[in-house]
Formats: sequence, structure tokens, C-alpha cells
Amino acid sequence: MSELAAAPPHEQNMAWLITRRFFKHKLAGIAIAVLAVLVLAAVFANLSPYSPTDQEPTNSFEKPNSTHWFGTDELGRDVFSRILYGGRVSLTVGLFSTFLSIALGVLVGALSGYFGGWVDSVLMRITDAFLTFPTIFVLILLGAFLREQQAPWLKNSIVVVIVIIAALSWMWPARLVRGLFLVLREKEFVTASRALGGSHTRLIIQHILPNCIGPILVSGTLQMASAIITESGLSYLGFGVQPPTPTWGSILATAQNQVFRAPWIGFFPGFMIFITVMAINYIGDGLRDAFDPYVIHTSD
Amino acid sequence: MTTYAIRRVLQTIPILFIISVLLFIMVRSAPGGPLTAARRNPNISKEQIEAIEEKLGLNDPLPVQYGRWLGDMFKGDMGESIKFRRPVSEMINERIPNTLLLVGVSFLVTLLIAIPIGIWSARKPYSPFDYTVTTVTFIGQSIPVYWLGLGLIVIFYVTLKNPFSGEPFFPVGGMNTRGKEGEFLDTLWHLALPVTALSMGWVAWYSRFLRSSMLDVLHEDYIRTARAKGMKEQMVHYKHALQNAILPLVTLVALDLPSLFAGALFVETIFSWPGMGRLFWDAAKGRDYPVLLGVVMITATLIIVCNILADLAYGWLDPRVKYE
Amino acid sequence: MKIKLLTLFVVLGLILSACGGGGGGNTVTLILPEEPTTLNFFLADAAIVRQVADATSMTGLATINENGEFTAVLAQELPTLENGGLSDDYLTVTWKLREGLKWSDGEPLTSDDVRFTVEVLSNPDSGALVGTSGFDLITNVETPDDLTTVLTYSEPYPGYLDQFSYGLFPRHATGEPADMANWDWNRNPVTAGPFIVDTWASGESISFTRNPNYYEAGKPYLDGLVFAIVPEPAAQSAMMLNGEAQVHLWPGEFKADYDEFLKGKAQQYLIPGIWNMAIDFNLSAPFDGDPTAATPHPILGDLRVRQAIASAINYQALQQDVLKGSVSDSTNPFAYGWYKCDLPRKFGYDVEKANQLLEEAGWVMGDDGIRVAKGAKYAKDGTRLSLELQGYTAFDPLQLTEEFIVENLKAIGVEARIQNYDFSIIFGSYADNSPRAIGDYDMLIFDRGFTTEPQGYNFDAYHSSRIPTEANPTGGNYFRWVNPKVDAALELAGSSFDTQVRKDAYCEVGQAVLDDMPQVYLYLFQDNYGIADSLTGYTLNTWGSMSWGSQNWKFK
Repeated sequence: MSELAAAPPHEQNMAWLITRRFFKHKLAGIAIAVLAVLVLAAVFANLSPYSPTDQEPTNSFEKPNSTHWFGTDELGRDVFSRILYGGRVSLTVGLFSTFLSIALGVLVGALSGYFGGWVDSVLMRITDAFLTFPTIFVLILLGAFLREQQAPWLKNSIVVVIVIIAALSWMWPARLVRGLFLVLREKEFVTASRALGGSHTRLIIQHILPNCIGPILVSGTLQMASAIITESGLSYLGFGVQPPTPTWGSILATAQNQVFRAPWIGFFPGFMIFITVMAINYIGDGLRDAFDPYVIHTSD
Repeated sequence: MTTYAIRRVLQTIPILFIISVLLFIMVRSAPGGPLTAARRNPNISKEQIEAIEEKLGLNDPLPVQYGRWLGDMFKGDMGESIKFRRPVSEMINERIPNTLLLVGVSFLVTLLIAIPIGIWSARKPYSPFDYTVTTVTFIGQSIPVYWLGLGLIVIFYVTLKNPFSGEPFFPVGGMNTRGKEGEFLDTLWHLALPVTALSMGWVAWYSRFLRSSMLDVLHEDYIRTARAKGMKEQMVHYKHALQNAILPLVTLVALDLPSLFAGALFVETIFSWPGMGRLFWDAAKGRDYPVLLGVVMITATLIIVCNILADLAYGWLDPRVKYE
Repeated sequence: MKIKLLTLFVVLGLILSACGGGGGGNTVTLILPEEPTTLNFFLADAAIVRQVADATSMTGLATINENGEFTAVLAQELPTLENGGLSDDYLTVTWKLREGLKWSDGEPLTSDDVRFTVEVLSNPDSGALVGTSGFDLITNVETPDDLTTVLTYSEPYPGYLDQFSYGLFPRHATGEPADMANWDWNRNPVTAGPFIVDTWASGESISFTRNPNYYEAGKPYLDGLVFAIVPEPAAQSAMMLNGEAQVHLWPGEFKADYDEFLKGKAQQYLIPGIWNMAIDFNLSAPFDGDPTAATPHPILGDLRVRQAIASAINYQALQQDVLKGSVSDSTNPFAYGWYKCDLPRKFGYDVEKANQLLEEAGWVMGDDGIRVAKGAKYAKDGTRLSLELQGYTAFDPLQLTEEFIVENLKAIGVEARIQNYDFSIIFGSYADNSPRAIGDYDMLIFDRGFTTEPQGYNFDAYHSSRIPTEANPTGGNYFRWVNPKVDAALELAGSSFDTQVRKDAYCEVGQAVLDDMPQVYLYLFQDNYGIADSLTGYTLNTWGSMSWGSQNWKFK
């Protein structure tokens, strides 16, 4: 957005207009509030009076009450705290894998769409190859494979999960950005800049890319929602983030044995995933509506 | 068109090759193997395990193993499951129809629900109906499949009971009740819960997509022209807009195939559905390499085939698109 | 349209469900969490195989009953010294079959089949993973008549009864001994057992019908068995609730909860199992490229540190509160069976003592609550008392135990970092650089199984000659323990036929484990089964499995 701030006055208003349009979408506004609450809750998880790992085995399976808002699990651990910490994992993985995925996707898509020719062919063939991977299968294999390597940096399973999710989702932003570049590079302002002697890099970064921000942001929200669901799915299967780190997916997995004894252990993680993803989806929807009419026209 | 098709097919061969090499390296260079569970058994001597691993050729250098595997693949032989001692192709053949059935029916149900919803909400965007539908579909898209599956079991198999017979509404798993294998109605009954779990997410996705793609089309100039010509609103809506909005949907469906299998995997596990996803999952746990490789290669091939078909269908549906 | 569709769905469902459902009268449905890979016990790579095979292919000359005693099954009686079945020099064993035995396909079961079984299990290429011990000691097999088999051994073998307690092979319905791994028989065995395979729906279920030629007249009482493969734990319990299944293997819920949930329908039963959970200490220095016992572990090399760790664990709370009584106490490797050693813990839960021991051993409390070495036996001053606790993934009780122990150890200033690896790594081979094989670990926690014939496993685990090294990669002495007294006791136990002598020798080893502490034993898993109240005649057998004795089951 900084390029826009430094730009002529009518473009400055665009940012304001986009924001206004966004909040016109009422639910998106609510969604932002919800997400903000979730993020804050995760960030300040350590303010909870209970630690997610403190065990009180004699206190196990307490129904949700005033001391334990979400009840306790089989080891007497406070489920609410575990959910808060689990939120950290989900949001972290969601955020970082999305950043990584978009970074990779933009790189590939921009180069592909801008230069065309054999660069495009090669990059697109690689993208196609990745697109034909049956994602879940490859994720499981990668998860298992990378964790079995005993290199020290791989011991952090959160990093591993972030990397493998990004590695299998960069293709969509890549295609999107490529498509956008294919259209935008034909625009007059590009020809003009080239005529004035602008380098490729300058052109890509300063002129074309800013116009892609809208669709990229929208795509980013979808990616993040999907990443959160994928991470929890992997943890549920046992191939994601490793215990004892609580994650929404792994709490759900252990809750399977206690579905009838203590349904709240299984209910809350699923519910949290649901709320988070809903919020993100609505934000994406709001962003799509906010950016829609403006993206192509402003730079004319 | 045929040249295009052939060219596409040829282009996919290097892709499949690369995929196979990567997978092979990943799967086989991981430590441990199919006999690891055996190592824990106090009755089995380590020498026996080593001997068997040798016999299975698990100790040969990787390129050699890959070459052997590739050679066999060309002959149509996907090797033998190390755990079950059955040909991989046989095991996959048993499971593919089950997954296709599950995914196919879910798909059908999804389309039957999503298309009308997409059309209606595009007719009156931002109306209360639109918002309600959006909300409901967003809910469907945001619920994790496995959570939903568990919930469905708890509700429809445990909690609620059929007032007529006292039996649960829906079965908890498997494809058929014992003794009714292959019976169509019985299978359909067993499909009910898994299909519900699977299609909820897709309905959301497709109806939203159709809605936005129809909205895009409805703003196009030629629609205005048709309206100006005085055609009935309904006709305009359905005939022209839909035809053009369907096209991106076709592409979307093709691109979405890999996630088809993801959702199916969870559903197959929860509802004990004997499909490909389950096969992969069991094989992954047991490090049964031939099965893992076989399943992934077959799935990748299926995806590629569907992609090509989708492209061809796109070309056929949209006369503006020309393939050389 | 959506509403119409929904209504159609609902009505259809109602109608269908009123017609469908329900089982088949005199058939018992059993729940398995995963599919067995074969029905040939000798090819079993996982415990699940036995759970199903016991109903069909594991009927042999003898069996081990719930009291741990051998009883004759297909044999007329057990060969002993008294009845002359076992010769005075212990080198000849004579088995006499019952009269009129038939295989499930109607062919007569004769001594030639016993001979064939020996041929298969003594063949090194058969691919057999279990049950082959001692067959290489059989030098000669004679079959003077259809009922009698005379085996000659090259040396006395105490496990001569155990050998024939896991089933026989029919020569006419199998194949070549060296090809056993590929027999069609493995998936559809012709057996002498109570049930035979009807359909194997891959991934879904295995159905059995009764064997019309079963040797006990009138049995089995049931018409059939169905093993349903249900991976989802919630679905499993739900099936028990709705009466769709009668036997539930290893329910995930604790007994009190299970019984509550299934009140009136089914209950959970616990019997001692064969899986013994313990922490293994690496007595030698890890990550130094040297797998031998040459250099002591900087922290764990000191006995007092190990004793302190043992004193920090609240065994009672672990067994009763954390694992809800689903496990029983275990103090040494010989926790059950004829060689069970009742040895009390030398170091029970005593936090004060633990702290005292650590202080004595030269570990002072640091600022962050973790002890630091100051004048310790092997560790350099300033070393933190931080140890890696390795276990395997995807097993809830293990995880709960690890997490509990970490908290216990934190209380005495020991930092335990959980590092779980996949099964395949923890139990991998030396060539695979499995941490325990190459000695690159601090503490290892896992459950180890034991059998009716303890010599092979325990010799491998405790004898000083079995430390895994480059030259000896299959060794099982992962702790790198060298104790001459233990070596001698193990050698004695392996050479004697006298049960009492052997037991005493094993208990000596057990006491040494408690004294020298290469391990700390935590608990013994109980086998748990959920069994419907409507089923009777079920016998729980630690040495058996879920379907052991299925010929005696019937509905009330």
C-alpha cells in the first residue's frame, strides 16, 4: 500500500474507497472483528490461569464450568487453554504457509506472465506437474518423510508443516498472478514505461504488481482458510504438528476415543476451526467485493 | 482437436515420470520399512527380519529398485503389496470403484444442489436470500470434514433413532450390510452419511463460484443486448448466462480433483468405506511402498486424464475456444 | 428443489432403515481397528493377525490356556516324561493325534501333516517371522502310522510343547515350504479350527462360517463370525451400543466410562497383557560415534541419577489417575507367566529422596529450575540436567505417560524433552541408524512384549555379548549394560529343563535390573476387550487373543 500512499491524490482515495466498500459488506466487518479476537486470544494465550500442559489427573473429564470454561481432558488439563495455544499453531501455520505460498506463487506467476515464451512454458509445466499431485497423499508422504530425517531444523514440526503446505499450494497464486500479468503487460502504461527505459524489475514490482494486490489478497484469504483446514487435517491424521504441542487437529484426534464420555473435548477444536475459517472466508468475500471494480481501471 | 489431445497426452508423460521419481525417492529413502512392526515382536529374531528384507530386495541401491519398479510398471505390473502379498493392481482395482462411487454420488448431489443455488443467488445478489444462502454455504465450506463426519455419526447413528423401527437412521460404516453386498438400495443407504459429509464443502464452493461467474457474465454487453431485444428475463438468465458461466465451472472441477481425494480420505476412514483413500492411509502407516506408489501414480494419472477431458469439454462447450 | 430433495432423502432413509439393519441371528460380529495382512500366524508382522487367525488357522497339537498351562488339542495328550511322550534324555518327542481328525475340506488330518509343518517351519526360506524357534533342532521326523509322529532333537529343547501350539499346515492344500509367503492358503486357510473363511471383503470385513469338520462334536455353537474393520474409534463404540457388534478389540475408552456408556449392552474386561512399559536408559555416552559401552553416559552413567529419576515418578498416580486403572503395576521384566518374579521396587515414589540423590551426585539446582552439574561423576561442571525422552508416535497411552513423566521430572529439576519418532525409526535396524541401535539416545520409553518362552528375547536384551555394534548389528542390549552375574544367570536359564531352576535364574536377572537400574519399569498393559452381555462362553486368555476359544461361544 505504500506505493499508493506516495502516488497522486486520486489513487490515495482509492485505498480509502476500497476500505469503505469492504465495510459495506456487513458480515465482512463482523468477520474482521471475530478474527481480531481470535488473534488476540492466541497471542495472549499465556495470560490464561492454566497452562496447557499442567496435568491434574484426578480432575479429568470435567464438564465445562466456571473454573474450566471448556472443561478438562483425560489428563485434567484445561481444554480452554489448550485451545488457545492450539490457535497459535493454526494461525501461525495458516499465516506463514500462506505468505510462503503467495511469495512463491507471485514469483513464478510474475516471471511466467511477464516474460512469456520458454520461461512461461517451463514454469507452467512445473506448475502443472505440481497441480496433478494428489495433494493429500503427497502431504502425508512428505510429512512422514521429512519428519523421519533427523536433521535438527526438521525437528520443529511446525516449520515442516508450513513448508509442505506452502510447497503444495503455491500453484494457485501462481496461475492467478500469471493470468493477471498476461493482461496487464499489454496495457499502455507498460509500453509507455518501457519506452521511457524502465527495467523489467522496476516495471514488475512498481507498476504491475500493485495492481494485483486485490486478487492476491482475496486469494490469500482462501489460501489461509484452506491451510488451516489442511494443517488440522494433517494433525488429526497424526502427520502434522507433533505432540505435546496442542493443535486443534491433534486435540480432535485424541478426542475420538472420548466422543461419548467427554464430547466437549471434540466439539471445541472443531468449532474453533470452523469459526476461524468462516471469518477468513467472509473477509475474503468482503475483499473481493471491495476490490472488484477497481483493480483494472485505476492504472489507465 | 485430436492433435491437441494427443499433444496433451504426450506432454503428461514427463510429468508422470518426474512425479514417480520424486515419490520413489521420498517413500523409499525414509528409514524403516514394512517389517518394522515385526521388529517389536519378541518372537521374531532380527536375523529373520534381515533375511526377509534381503529377499524382498529392500537393501538394493535406490536406482536399482527404481529401475526394477519402472520396468514392472511398463509391463502393467505394479508389484505386490509387501504386507498383504497381493498384487497391487488387484488391490487398487478392488478399491477404485468404491471411491469413484462415493466421489461420484457426492459430486452429483453437490451439483444438484449447487447449480440451482448459484443461479438463484445470482438472480438477486445481495438480497436476504442471497445472504442466507451465502451464510449456509460458508458454514458448509468451513466445517472440517472429519468433525462433520463424527458429528453425523453421533447424531444419526447414536442419538436419533428411526421412530418406525427403533433402529438407527443410517449405518455407521461399510458399504453394505452383511449379506446384502451389491444391493443398490442398501449401498445407497450406506452412502447417505459419507456423501453428506463430503458434499457440504463442495456445495459451498461451487454455488459461490457459479454465482460470481454468473454475475460476471450478466454484466457483459451481449446480455444487455439480448435484454434490449426483449427476450424474456428468465430465458436470458438461464440460457445465455448459464451457458457461459458453466465453462469456468468445468475448469474448476478439473482443478479441484486433487482435493476430491483429500476429503474422500477422511470420509473413508471415519465411515469405514473401503476406498482408495483408506488404502493409501493404511499403506502409509505400514510403509507398504508398492501400494503407496501404485495409488499415487494411478491417482495422478486419473487427475491428468480428467484435466485433459475437462479442457476438451471446455473447447467443445465454448465455440470461441479453438485448439490447434 | 433442495427441500424436495431433502424430503426424498429423509423418507427414503426412513424406509430403508426400517428394512435394513439387523445382523444374522447366530453370528458374532467383532470389531477390528485395522485389517490383518494374512491369516497365517507364522507370517504375522502385527498383533492384529493373531486376533483373527485364532478363530481359524491356529488350532494345533496343543494350546496354552488362560492359566498359562499347555493343554492337548489335536493331540490325544501332551507328551511328558511320565507318559513316555518325552524320552528320558529329552531328545525324542512322540505326538499321538486323536482319531478321525479331518481338515475343513474333509481330507483326513494325519501325522504326515505334522511332518509337513516341521518341513515348513524349519525351512529358512519360508518367510516365517514367528514361531520357528527350535525347529532347526529337529533332526528327524518319523511317522510310523497315521496318528503318530516321532521327533528327534539334536539337543534338549524346553519349548517342545510351545512349538506346536500355533497351528498345523495341511500338505495337500498349501504348497511348497519355501513358498509359504505366497500361498493362497494364507488368505483362505484349510484348517482344523472352528471357523473357515467365507468372504474377505478387502478393507471392509472378513466373514467366517462354521467348520463342518471341526473335531469337537457340536461345536462351534455359532454359525459364523464377522470381523468388521472399523478404523474410527467413535464408530466402534457406537456399533457396540447399537448391538451391531458383540466383541470390541482394544476399546479406547477407559473401563469406567465404557461400562457407563454401554450399560446393559456390554462391558469392558481387562486381563494382564504381555506388553510391559519401561524406560530404558542409555548407560553409555550418546552421539559420540561409538556404539559400545566404552564411555559412560555423562548424566545417566551415574547410578544415583537413575535412582533419582526412578524416585521421581508417581507410579500410583500414573497407573490409576492418568491411565485410569487400565494398566497394572510392573517392576521388572518378568511381569507375568510361569517365570513371573514378584520383586518389589527398590526406588518407589519419593521426591525428597530423589532430590537428595541428585544433590549427592553433584547436581545443584539452577536458576531456571533445572539442575546443573557441580562436581558430578562424569559430567562437566555447568552441564544442564537435560535429557531427551524418545518414544514412538500415534499411541495415546504412551504419550500420556511421557507427558506425565516430564512433569514428574520437572519437579526434581530434571528436564526431559519429548522427542517422538515414528515406529519405523524407534524400532528400526542398525543399518537404518535407529537411535537405540546405534546408541544415540538418552532415555527411551516403549512397551516390550514377552512370551511363554522367555529365553531368546531376554538373552538378547540383557547379555553383555548382545550390545549392538557395527560387528554385531542385530544385538538387543540397547542400554549397553555389562553385568557378569546377569550373563551367568541367563546362560543357566537357557540350558536347563527344570522350570524352577530357570525361574530362579530369571528372577536373579530381574533383581539385577532393579539393583543396577538400566531400566525403570512403569506398568503392564492390560488387554482390554469389550464384550456384549448377550455373549456367553467367552474365555479371556492373556496368551491367546480376541477370538481364542471361539468354538465355545454362544448367545444367551
